Amino acid sequence: MTPREPQSPPPPALAASAFPGMTTGRWGLASLAVVLAAVLPLVVSSQYVLGVMITTLILLVLNISWNFVLGVAGVWNFGQLAIYALGGYGAGIIMLHSPVSPWLALLAGGLVAAVAAVLLSFPTLRLYGIYTSLLTFAFAEVIQYVILNDGSGLTGGSFGLPIVRGLYSSLGLNASARAYFWTALAVAVIATVLLAAVGHARLGIALRAIRDAPAYAAARGVSPLRYRIIAFAISGFLAGIAGGLYVSYDQSISPSVMGLTPMSVYVTMLVIGGLGTSTGPIIGTILVQIVATALVTHPGAEFTILGLFLLVVVVFVPDGLAGLVGRHWRRISAWAAEDEDDELAEGSPDPHVA
Amino acid sequence: MITDLVGIAVTTIILGSIYGLVAIGMTLIYGTLRILDMSQGSMVMVGSFIGWGILVVAGWNPVLAILAAFAATFLLGALTQLVSVQPLMKRRNAIDFEMVTFITTFAVAMVLTNVALEVFGPFQRNVTPVIGGGITVYHGVDLPYQSLAMALVSVAMMAGLGIFLARTRWGMAIRAVAQDLDAARLMGVPVGKLYPLTMGLASALAGVAGVFLGGLYFAYPGAGDLPLLEALIVVIFGGLGSLPGTVYAAYAIGLIQAVAEVTVGTTWSLPILYGVILLVLIVRPYGLLGKPSEARL
Repeated sequence: MTPREPQSPPPPALAASAFPGMTTGRWGLASLAVVLAAVLPLVVSSQYVLGVMITTLILLVLNISWNFVLGVAGVWNFGQLAIYALGGYGAGIIMLHSPVSPWLALLAGGLVAAVAAVLLSFPTLRLYGIYTSLLTFAFAEVIQYVILNDGSGLTGGSFGLPIVRGLYSSLGLNASARAYFWTALAVAVIATVLLAAVGHARLGIALRAIRDAPAYAAARGVSPLRYRIIAFAISGFLAGIAGGLYVSYDQSISPSVMGLTPMSVYVTMLVIGGLGTSTGPIIGTILVQIVATALVTHPGAEFTILGLFLLVVVVFVPDGLAGLVGRHWRRISAWAAEDEDDELAEGSPDPHVA
Repeated sequence: MITDLVGIAVTTIILGSIYGLVAIGMTLIYGTLRILDMSQGSMVMVGSFIGWGILVVAGWNPVLAILAAFAATFLLGALTQLVSVQPLMKRRNAIDFEMVTFITTFAVAMVLTNVALEVFGPFQRNVTPVIGGGITVYHGVDLPYQSLAMALVSVAMMAGLGIFLARTRWGMAIRAVAQDLDAARLMGVPVGKLYPLTMGLASALAGVAGVFLGGLYFAYPGAGDLPLLEALIVVIFGGLGSLPGTVYAAYAIGLIQAVAEVTVGTTWSLPILYGVILLVLIVRPYGLLGKPSEARL
């Protein structure tokens, strides 16, 4: 999935830029994409399509947070949906029962999720690979069961929370949908930039080292404990924010957001896009969501096609679509660079284009 | 009190045997190929549909149903290996091999489940018990012949697998590959044929379990989900790749579940199981008999 050849940039490049590989042109392209996305709700008139886009953005935030632990840190964490749900429930319950601003509730949900994620990170330190996946999945199942069988009325059991007054409940239907879209887009952009920056900085390099050569990393003084806790905290906080956005937009949350079925879709998104890359979750989430929406009238076919798609991508494109695009992009830019290497000589912005 | 104890003992033996049958296939595959086969649950589902087709639709002999399920899931398992694992074998030593194959076999499970959903619909279908009737073991504790047959067939198949691995040429080849792939290759073990054979065999065990489980529960597209989760718990609890560990763990898990069902009811038995597995993994990170980063059959 993720390319395992040494890919961390040489130290000078690291010092020069927090985002190696990002040329001015690419920053421009990325900004253009964000601006185009931000204009979408003004162009799209269908409430249904807008709703699908908002859900996609919320899922994108979740997938970005998950990718950081699963792809960059390489910890088989299959409990991320429970952390996401805990953030959602935390935010939702505060929104329901407390007069504080829903924005504070959103933050509180993120903190609840971060605490849960840090607690989950401790047992995973002793485990490896598949054992981690079962432990984290068991954690998620226990959380789901506890919520499902909750008789106290706090979570509403299998029915979920009653109608929650979210971030924009004072606005009209159209205005609130647009507001949610822009909020979710802003969070997704911030999450992408933040995790890309962190992923190329000391933390990300340490996490990759622990992932690829645990003994060597520990011998060089990279503390798995410290870096994994930080990674889980950041990832958990973002997942919790995604959960808070979900409960606010959907006005409810129920235990059905967890479980094997939604998880298989999100894993498909991450793997198809490219685990451990910054653009992978974006490509995967949007692509799979488009396929799923197109097949919404054939629920069985959706999963069959996603499953076949997943199989083909893993077998033939091990580093996901982001890796595929990246390789071709590099070839094209290398080819372009041959023609204009005189112009590039003074800046030499990207040491990787070779 | 005594009724409870007898009930717990009977349930333990039945549950343990059926968990053992599904889980031992996963252990066999993990020991030989170093992959966790997520398609084993679907094999249970396919087995229960074959049981339904032969017992209910065609009305034929139960023995035929078991044989047909064995043959069909053997072929399906071998095919799964060729499609989802064989193309990846050249990346066997890559650090993410386990995760990649986990995902590809999971993709196969997704496809199989949803093809079943398209073909048969989401309905739960009753499967005639392989054998009807039952005996009363103690006051209030009934033992249906179906469960008894299931336990006996499971134990017989586990024993048969043990003999196969210990005595036959192919069985020894499987163990040789599990112990040292390169040495086995140098001794002329045809690894290319062995891998599909191993996965076919493991899938066939799950398929036979499916015929019986279909009689206990139902045949429906999701019929494999719970057995898969339970088998996962068993193999991890026992330590990946350890066949004796898997058998002990199957009965231990059966016992935990039986006690939970008798004392607090069926709803809480699965969460209690997960709670136990959480504790076990925190205390013993490699399961009961597992060895860190290596596995021996």
